[in-house]
Amino acid sequence: MKMESENFSKTRIPYGTWGSSYFPSWQSSALAEVNIGQFAGEAMNKILGIRKVPNNILDYLVIGSTIPWHWKFWNAPLVASCLGKRVPGYHIEQACATGLQAVFAAASEIESNSHDIVGVLTFDRTSDSPVGVFPERRSHRRTEVLADVWDNFGFDPATGNSMLKTAGLAARKYKVDRNEVDELALFRYQQYFETKESGFLEKVLVPLEVLNLQGKRLGTIDDDTGIRNLTKSDLRAMRELDTCVTAGTQTHAADGMATLLVTTIDKAHELSTKPEIDIKIIGKSEIRTSPSLMPEAPAFAVEKLLSRTGLTMDDMAVVKNHNPFAVNDVVFANVVGYDWHKMNNTGCSLVWGHPQGPTLTRIVIEALEEAVSIGGGYVLVFGCAAGDVGIAAIFKVSNGGKI
Amino acid sequence: MIKSMRQPTLQTLGLGNVLEIFLNKHLPANPMDLVDTVFGSGDDRGSLVISGANGIVGAGKTMQLGSRLQPYNVTTVGLDFPGSSDAINKHYPGLVRAFGRQSADQIMSNIVQLTYDGKHLPSELNGLKPRFLLEAIPEILELKKAHYYLFRETYPTMDIRSVTSGFPSSELGAGIAHPAFPHEINKIWEIVESQPSPFTQLLWSLGLIPIPVSDHWSFVLDVLFCGITLTGLRYHQATNMPYWKIDKYIRKHFGPNPFRAHDAIGAKGANFLTWSCLHDLDKQYGELFRPTEDLIEHKDSGQNWYPLNHFRPLVNWTIDGDEEENFLNWTEGALFQMASLMLHENRGHLSHINGIGELCAQFQQGILAMMRKMGSSAIIKRVEAYHNLHPEAAQCCWYPESFDQIESPEWQQLYVNAEHDGKIGVITISRESYNWDVDRELNQAIDWLKNEKIERVIVTGDFHLSTQMVGADTSEFFPALIDVETGFNVSSTWSQTARRLHNEFNVSVGYINGKRCLGGFLELMVHCHYIVSTDEANLGMPEVTLPVIPGMEGCHWPFRKANSTDWPKLVRLLLTGKSILAKDAVGWLIDYSGTVDDSLQAAWEIVSGNTDKFPQKEFVIEALKEIPLDVSLPASESPAMETTQKAILDTIQHSCSVPLSEALNIQARHSADFMTSQVCNEGMIGSECAKIEDI
Repeated sequence: MKMESENFSKTRIPYGTWGSSYFPSWQSSALAEVNIGQFAGEAMNKILGIRKVPNNILDYLVIGSTIPWHWKFWNAPLVASCLGKRVPGYHIEQACATGLQAVFAAASEIESNSHDIVGVLTFDRTSDSPVGVFPERRSHRRTEVLADVWDNFGFDPATGNSMLKTAGLAARKYKVDRNEVDELALFRYQQYFETKESGFLEKVLVPLEVLNLQGKRLGTIDDDTGIRNLTKSDLRAMRELDTCVTAGTQTHAADGMATLLVTTIDKAHELSTKPEIDIKIIGKSEIRTSPSLMPEAPAFAVEKLLSRTGLTMDDMAVVKNHNPFAVNDVVFANVVGYDWHKMNNTGCSLVWGHPQGPTLTRIVIEALEEAVSIGGGYVLVFGCAAGDVGIAAIFKVSNGGKI
Repeated sequence: MIKSMRQPTLQTLGLGNVLEIFLNKHLPANPMDLVDTVFGSGDDRGSLVISGANGIVGAGKTMQLGSRLQPYNVTTVGLDFPGSSDAINKHYPGLVRAFGRQSADQIMSNIVQLTYDGKHLPSELNGLKPRFLLEAIPEILELKKAHYYLFRETYPTMDIRSVTSGFPSSELGAGIAHPAFPHEINKIWEIVESQPSPFTQLLWSLGLIPIPVSDHWSFVLDVLFCGITLTGLRYHQATNMPYWKIDKYIRKHFGPNPFRAHDAIGAKGANFLTWSCLHDLDKQYGELFRPTEDLIEHKDSGQNWYPLNHFRPLVNWTIDGDEEENFLNWTEGALFQMASLMLHENRGHLSHINGIGELCAQFQQGILAMMRKMGSSAIIKRVEAYHNLHPEAAQCCWYPESFDQIESPEWQQLYVNAEHDGKIGVITISRESYNWDVDRELNQAIDWLKNEKIERVIVTGDFHLSTQMVGADTSEFFPALIDVETGFNVSSTWSQTARRLHNEFNVSVGYINGKRCLGGFLELMVHCHYIVSTDEANLGMPEVTLPVIPGMEGCHWPFRKANSTDWPKLVRLLLTGKSILAKDAVGWLIDYSGTVDDSLQAAWEIVSGNTDKFPQKEFVIEALKEIPLDVSLPASESPAMETTQKAILDTIQHSCSVPLSEALNIQARHSADFMTSQVCNEGMIGSECAKIEDI
């Protein structure tokens, strides 16, 4: 029996109003040199303009990011000013789950009748992450030196392990075979390049020209730079950093932004470029698994969500996840019993990189666009997040009454 | 009887026509007489009162009028509330720069600042004999009416003008003299009065530019400027394009940057004024003028339109051809509809409606010139495309029949007019820079005079809109920066027009009466058989500083008229770019200079054939020999200038060393080649072009 949740009955995501920047790898583009909050605000405004959505329809903004940026104290209202519409809002952050949590935070604004049209805008710049000093009286140095991105990639203060270590531990727990991981990674690269070739990405990704202080072109963000077109032998030849983890089977740091709107049924109808397409939120789950086993967490979150909604993996038309390690997908397939070949059809963060805040927002957008392109259906999006957390969400895309 | 192609704009001020100025050998209005009329004469001389004197308009006009009336012993009284920030003294440094410290001190000494409570006039005012009130208080109708009541109750015979930009005279119960920003220097005043008054004529005689307009809600300048701002706001509403980028596209297609201008003027006040004008126009005419929510928000908050410096724009917006067409539908379409309303209501002389945009609102080309170029069917098509985007606008004030007369002389001679008395003609040019419009209209004026059998002609400014002749409109050179044949076409076509003044009249006299005559306009004048100027006019060929090569035969034509002993002076003029006073150019560049009255008389005598005192110089059509090219000059200011000087010398040598029949092509080729050079492209014209076109 399908038990669609009534929790988000008033909320819709209007089709055709979303967009994301490309995700250039860190230090490789003009995004490495700008205030990412300002960029995200201006980029969202431009994306809305391209989608024929006037920015004055927004009445709330939920922003999500994980890396400090200049003037972040001023939060969503400042980013809203940069996009040209002075609305209130707030900032949400849950490491790599930020991009999905922000969607649900926006949905709660609709469900509680607080607002009618809420913008979701997630962004991060991993390049040149802030460095600084922080008084830490209990440390022997009394003042600690901070490097926001590097410190957190390399060390979970709760367990003492790095992110990469969790992948190795999970691989060992599930007796993952390196061959399968390499094969999966190769398959993911092929999925991405085939999608790129098909023109699908142009439906969701928007090229953006970045200006310098003088108003001259600093660079154009029009490609997911930093992606290597690897062969199986390339992957095979790579040194293992931990069990089943190589440079080719893990994601890379990137910069970028992604945005979508969350609104009421009526407004979605008005705003959508295809009003016959109805996009509902079905539900969300989160779990926290054992210490340092982060890659298994998403599978458990999905199981929990399926159990709560009464849906099965067979019901899913599109399955897509944030997979910083290829190990994640192999573990997911083992735990849930799902063929990993059937997921991430249009690419995934393993390949196109991980700017943290916007990663899962882009995944949601790509997944919804894919569902529309195949005529609708349930969409499962999931991923892992710092702290051995797994998060999963299901959306339903009804395409002109077909589904 | 004097006949003219179209009505001379001077007539709108009750000052006759230009030919009469030469016939009478003096200007039609004398400032001393008019000061006596407006402010009283002798011991009865009264004062000018400017209320709201510490506002942007009040302070600017206190400077402009105070400096001009001080020599006539008219005291300017600046009236404002106690505690108003002193905006008058802030202008002192500018006054010193313009007039020198001694004169600035005298001007400031003649300005009396008084305060009042808004309900009672200060008793000190009686001793200053107030004769004329220029009201510059906030744009609130009832406040203004009460203000006039207060003055009229105390001084029943006092004449009043309001600087309002929005309220009609019929609503205010007072005449209107609406000035343009920046108020201390902009000479334009839109005037609403039943017939030209002595005050208006006084403004003209003091060197200002009063322009009569009709008594409607908001005047021409505000309809154009607030209107173009509104078109940008609507485009923003439709597309989200940020204001800074909309400004760039408006600048590219029209000339102004309305949003930057609001911020520069002071967003708080400017936003309110724009809203106020549009709000009143909306009430009167409907949706076409309805202020957008953004404007209302900015009016209420006083917020800037451009991001602050630390948030200089990061994400660029570039639109493709189709979207640019959409942009033009939103902007041009609405603006053309607004123009149709102004034409329907006969808001002013067409040259004035056209000129106000250029002189006050930074339009690159006047609105009517722009529309004329498109033709009526294209105009209507554009407005209809706008109506498809904004259907509510189609329901109000759209008058396509206003373009029925687009082929009439009033439309076709916006910048150049011609008059004659049966024997002598005058061609008047009201645009300060020479462009294709002027060129075409000048040819039409020559054709008209020739058709009227006129063989003697004076070429001059219009004694109204144009107070100087600054040279070629360099924006016309932008296409020539990349296309040598376009450059050749500009140079050769304009030169051929100039030659008509030499070839097609028995006598032609170039008369220079403004502040300066430079570059292309001086080259045009040089083609006349004679040049007469007022003493203090500055003459120069600043092309070397831009840098370009003079393209209207400036490198050989004056050499053919001058004695060979004077050739070094001409070479120096061309190579330094520095101006000289007309009185220092007599004999080698011009034929006569004198006071205004003397020069008018000289011009008239020459054109009438009384040339005993003004023998015509020999004009050499053969190749010239031994042009001195080793004139001692100070070291060049830059490598670019040195390169240009060499190119100009080269042009002089080549165009002078051939007969006249070959010189035009040689000069034009040199000019065109140089415009595609790296030096020119990296110079002022190239930079300006990149700024406007490369967005």
